[in-house]
Amino acid sequence: MSAPTILWNGRPVPFRPGESIGTALGAAGVVAFGHDPAGRATRWFCGVGACQSCLVRVGDRLVEACLTPASDGLVVVSADREPEAAR
Amino acid sequence: MTVASVLVVGGGPAGLAAAARLAESGVAVDLVELRPALGGAFHRRPIDGVAPWPVGREGAKRWARLTDDLRRPRIRIRLRTAFLGLDGSGAALLDDLAAGRVEALRPDAIVVATGAVERVRPRPGWELPGVSTAGGLQMAMKETGRIPEGRILLAGNGPLLVALAGQMIAADRPPVALVEAGDPIRHPIAGLGLLAHPRPLLEASGHVLRIFAGRLPWRRATTVERIEAVGTALAVTLRDRAGRAETIEVDRVALHDGLLSNDHGLPEVDDGAPGRPIVARAGDCREVLGVAAAEIDGHRAAEEVVARLAGAPGADAAAARRLAHERHAQQVLARVFAPARLPVPVERLPRETVLCRCEGRTVGDLVDLVDGADAPGGREIKLSGRFAMGLCQGRFCAHWVAEAAAGLRPDAPAPLSGDLTGRRWPARPVSVAAVVASALPPER
Repeated sequence: MSAPTILWNGRPVPFRPGESIGTALGAAGVVAFGHDPAGRATRWFCGVGACQSCLVRVGDRLVEACLTPASDGLVVVSADREPEAAR
Repeated sequence: MTVASVLVVGGGPAGLAAAARLAESGVAVDLVELRPALGGAFHRRPIDGVAPWPVGREGAKRWARLTDDLRRPRIRIRLRTAFLGLDGSGAALLDDLAAGRVEALRPDAIVVATGAVERVRPRPGWELPGVSTAGGLQMAMKETGRIPEGRILLAGNGPLLVALAGQMIAADRPPVALVEAGDPIRHPIAGLGLLAHPRPLLEASGHVLRIFAGRLPWRRATTVERIEAVGTALAVTLRDRAGRAETIEVDRVALHDGLLSNDHGLPEVDDGAPGRPIVARAGDCREVLGVAAAEIDGHRAAEEVVARLAGAPGADAAAARRLAHERHAQQVLARVFAPARLPVPVERLPRETVLCRCEGRTVGDLVDLVDGADAPGGREIKLSGRFAMGLCQGRFCAHWVAEAAAGLRPDAPAPLSGDLTGRRWPARPVSVAAVVASALPPER
């Protein structure tokens, strides 16, 4: 069985069960997560859900990458991309 | 007679200790935790198949104790649930993150145990990708059992950096260097105070020994002046006590300048008017005293709530004495780690330095705003200047903005950090869809 993956901006990124979107991206060497709707660069920062620096888009919701569990086939895009891109 | 109900916010040591003690007293407990697992920061749980990060003998015993005590009836644990705050009617609003729905509870009391957030001094470039807090790096390590690839620099001020460096060396992935504004080994007399605290002293000694044995460059009395992106790397300029600058290239920078209570938008301690819950706070969100104190304080808060529910005052002298002991340890550490030079006041940092990341507001923006004929107050700095107005609700900038504004206008009343953040719920961003989907019960 191959490792489960999320789809990050269209590219498969593997994760280990239980891992957050944020640590999965970090392990794949993704340091810059794109931009938030205000145009600020997004990235892993506080790791505790307080700073809102790691926002990414899942479906039509902006979620903290550090708090949100990865799941197989989950479509995740940078926070400034259109919701359609995450569908 | 109906059983009293208490909402405990936060599944770290303070919240777990409070929940267990409350349940033991016959109270029905709802424990909400933002993350998919209990543990908090110190006792952060690893993902499946990964060994827990070593937390020392005391730490392992504490975690066993906290989780054993939790195996009681009458505790309902809700993971991935955010506490948004108390609304005007006294209802506690919870955001079920998995379902994307807000619901309301009407507990008789609330114990707020939301821990701490890190204090990160603004420096040019601190907002760049690749720069995180040291605690943020540590959380990723504890969750995954892995240290991110690349050259990592730890920098800032305080004992957490020493512990993190020691842990990284023990895991055979030492940081490139540890940059510390203080000069802890130059304070042997102040350090003697730690003899009253053998447990943290032993732990700290272990980390310091690892730092020396591992020949880690420990740049004491040195600060990070700026961080610049160079391709995919980060160029970090250091300034030592003699004023000499040096630039080193790394892949990641982890910053930390201490801890603050994580109490933004959370209800104040309250005896409970009719129709409104009693509110107590426990652990680092009440006073940053560390993990050992958090467990003591969780028990104390639970006993206080139980006493108040019975209409009795709730002072616990024994807990107060034990907390005073932990406070002394923190005071000694603060003296040992006192910065060797006064930090550059925030308002004198280069104009382009970002103060408020969410809104991209800089030192220059603040200087221009505050430099008018009339000094603006905290609310005005927020509303006209858009400082502390973004998604993090000022958790990482409000204290610096307030300090800088006070420094720029010594002639005017100093704005308070709370004036900038406001003191109202929601404690964190919530989607409109989640509020619309909420099923709020009628007022009692």
